[in-house]
Amino acid sequence: MASTHAEEPLAEDTADHDAHIYEEVMLSERMEHSQRLAVEELITTEASYVHNLQLCLSDIRAHLQKKQLPGLDLEGLFSNIDDILHVSRRFLRGLQDTATQEHEQLLSISTLFQEFKEEMEMVYKIYCASYEHALLLVESYRKDPRLQEEIMDTLTATVPHTSASDLSFFLVMPVQRVTKYPLLLGKILENTPANTSTHEALAAAVRAMTQVNANINEYKRRREVATKYNKAEQLTLRDRFARLNTHSIAKKTTRLSRLLMHEAGIVAKTEDKEYDELEEKFQSVASSVTALKENVASYLQHLEAFLLPTPHRCELQMEEGPAQQYRRFAEHLHRAVFPEFRRRLDRLVWKPLCRLAEMLVGPQQLVKKRLDKLLDYEEIQERKSETGSVTYDEEAAMNTYLAINALLVAELPRFNQVAMQLLGQLLGSFSVLQQDLATEVLHEAKKEVEQMPHGHMLLPAFWRMVEDTLQQSGVQLRTFIQAFETVTPSPLLQPLNPAEERKVLSLVSKHGPDKLYQVTSNVSGSKDMDLTLQRGQIVALLQSVDTKGNTGRWLVDAGGPRGFVPAAKLQPYSLGPSQQPKMQMPALESGTERRRHSYVSPEAPKPQVATFTPAFQVVAGFSFTARSPQELSLQAGQPVVVLEPHDKKGSTEWSLVEVNGQRGYVPSSYLLTVPVQEPVGWSLPV
Amino acid sequence: MSWIPFKIGQPKKQIVPKTVERDFEREYGKLQQLEEQTKKLQKDMKKSTDADLGLLLCCPPGSTARRWDLYEAAGSCNGPRVTRNAMSKAAVKISSDLLSNPLCEQDAAFLGVVTAFDTAMRRMDSFNQEKVNQIQKTVIEPLKKFGSVFPSLNMAVKRREQTLQEYRRLQAKVEKYEEKERSGPGLAKLHQAREELRPVRADFEAKNQQLLQEMPKFYSSRSDYFTPSFEALLRAQVVFYSEMRSIFGDLTAQIGRAALSDELRERENEGRLGELRALSIVGDD
Repeated sequence: MASTHAEEPLAEDTADHDAHIYEEVMLSERMEHSQRLAVEELITTEASYVHNLQLCLSDIRAHLQKKQLPGLDLEGLFSNIDDILHVSRRFLRGLQDTATQEHEQLLSISTLFQEFKEEMEMVYKIYCASYEHALLLVESYRKDPRLQEEIMDTLTATVPHTSASDLSFFLVMPVQRVTKYPLLLGKILENTPANTSTHEALAAAVRAMTQVNANINEYKRRREVATKYNKAEQLTLRDRFARLNTHSIAKKTTRLSRLLMHEAGIVAKTEDKEYDELEEKFQSVASSVTALKENVASYLQHLEAFLLPTPHRCELQMEEGPAQQYRRFAEHLHRAVFPEFRRRLDRLVWKPLCRLAEMLVGPQQLVKKRLDKLLDYEEIQERKSETGSVTYDEEAAMNTYLAINALLVAELPRFNQVAMQLLGQLLGSFSVLQQDLATEVLHEAKKEVEQMPHGHMLLPAFWRMVEDTLQQSGVQLRTFIQAFETVTPSPLLQPLNPAEERKVLSLVSKHGPDKLYQVTSNVSGSKDMDLTLQRGQIVALLQSVDTKGNTGRWLVDAGGPRGFVPAAKLQPYSLGPSQQPKMQMPALESGTERRRHSYVSPEAPKPQVATFTPAFQVVAGFSFTARSPQELSLQAGQPVVVLEPHDKKGSTEWSLVEVNGQRGYVPSSYLLTVPVQEPVGWSLPV
Repeated sequence: MSWIPFKIGQPKKQIVPKTVERDFEREYGKLQQLEEQTKKLQKDMKKSTDADLGLLLCCPPGSTARRWDLYEAAGSCNGPRVTRNAMSKAAVKISSDLLSNPLCEQDAAFLGVVTAFDTAMRRMDSFNQEKVNQIQKTVIEPLKKFGSVFPSLNMAVKRREQTLQEYRRLQAKVEKYEEKERSGPGLAKLHQAREELRPVRADFEAKNQQLLQEMPKFYSSRSDYFTPSFEALLRAQVVFYSEMRSIFGDLTAQIGRAALSDELRERENEGRLGELRALSIVGDD
């Protein structure tokens, strides 16, 4: 208790000596007393503080919350007061526990503070940093009569015993409390005799709490600086112009010149290696986030467009089998699997990525601002070294730079680290999503494959089989094509008259036999260059397209006039290779090559596999009944062999023909010359 | 086919029995639709040439279906031409861009993650390409071939039509002469007209019959024809997605921490975002 100091016993001063001792005892007693009072004060004020916090929260805030006032920002006002309450409650309990310990109480109190200092710093700094904002809110609400009324009403309802006129009465309490701790501790300390362990402990506690307050202030300052500069400003051009004044122009010019001097090497850049590294890394992080976001966006866009068309209900004509199975599979994917994939992708990758990208803005702004302020700073530094002093504003500017710099240096590492962790997480999620998608689709596909005819075939065998089948199918298709192509063109009823024959010959010699076409029905030209032709005329193709590029209109040579005819009215006309386009063929009599005629009815002997040598064939166009022994009866359609194209008298009206071994005369006009078209007959279907 | 005996009592225009005409129309109608759908399908498939999944989902099973509105290959809608292959390429871009980012030089762990990711993407892309090639062979080509039959068919039908017109014309002529006096020159003309008519009629009958025979055959051939294609489509899917599953299974084992549920992942992401938000340098809106 009382420290005994060496006393010099003074014979004559026993009274004094006694007085000294008395004084000392009194002093130490007083100290003890004060100390006890101070400790009590600490505990009781803490208790009342907690009580008020409770009031604030559960009564006032709850009351306001119930009112559901739209203009009221409860979050902004009360911030993290819950956390403070939580911490303070525990702290109070700890304090109250120490009351039972007599000698150890002070030590316990000191230890308690040490235990709690970090937590306190964490919760109080947040609260204090947003306190200014809260005050602004209170002020603004005061100006709104309706809100103000509501608030007053709440206050009177919940805490009538206080003389609170507005919320700030309560809101300021935490701010006050945390600054009080060092003071309260200090009071205890000064009433504690020095050179004791308790004194040490208490002193340490005081230092700790002072530090906490310093940190809170620092944090607050940084937050202010950050908030001031980390918004990207959306200024219109007009706004920007409005901002220009001599001051700002001057400022910017100075900065610019300084920057140029940096670049040119005239002036040394302030090297801050630590910062530069940090910034570089930050820029890499920013660029990878941006790139990733772009790429995922494009991926999603593709996925979106891919999912956009919806499968339609259809009536299938392929009832069973792989086609139906495939459809089931495709529908399921489209309806369920892929939308699920997209949804998960959205939640687990895209949205977080967007938020991350948004968060880049703040630091990017600050980095920019820092550079500006650095230039200012250097400028001012120079001037300072010249003139020796700086103005208040300049001092402030320098401090701003320092604050920003400190802020960035302190927080960028954390930002980079966390951002990269998040990126890693997102990539991981993406991978898992792909895996899940693949598994789903595979499951579905396998299900259907199981049921398919060749589902169990091994792959190489399967592909071979498919290839073979397709090849066969290809062959089959070709036969179909042939089938359709052998539908014979109409036979022409008119034999070629001599004039026409000559024309045909000349066309052949001019253009070649493969360019001949026959008009299938009368053509009457309507436009300028159109020809008017009769059915049965032969023309030669010059161009299968007209001047405007229309492929339905062909340019032909009609053996004199040239012009356009509709292509639909032409059919190919072929001459035999060694063919003389004359009807009376001695050549026909050479039996070596019987050129067959293609005009057959389906009942005609089928195996007329095309002898693809086209030729002329004379047939009877009409039936004819012989009326004299020299004449020969004909059936329409019968092929005949013309022996002589005239009768004994030389008249060409009659021709000597041979049919079925019989000979006789028939009217020449009853005879047709029909070219053989290729191929002959129908090819047989598959 | 024998000559259809010339019945005087037949109504003027009705030279082809209604049933015959109806049959023909029906069969040809089916084929016309088939042609339309084949064309459309082919167009859509062409549009997503590189697509695999996108392509396949747009390939309507039974492209020969009636009134089939196709899954529009992404691309036949107005948006950007989208194909699964485009998706595949986009995925590759994700990883390759990250790989070229300086972060990879600075941070070894990050480099590891991104490299693994990149490898996986490239492998998937190459399998995708294989799948596309396979489909090109087994689906698109056959489709083209199938479609190439139609021009011939259409020409044949046209020719039949022309013959029919001719037939009608001559028929009318005959009927006209029949109504006139039946004497001397009139008779001769009538006779001649009949003679002209006969071959034409025969020709028409022939064409008609042939087409009536062949068309249904062709139509029903589509089922067998396309079956292998669909089987091939599905098998190709199986192949591709098996690979994809194993590729990403490996990748996830490396970087993905597969066991996490979606909720956990979301919470993790929120956690990180929250940490970032707590920083002063990040503006909070």
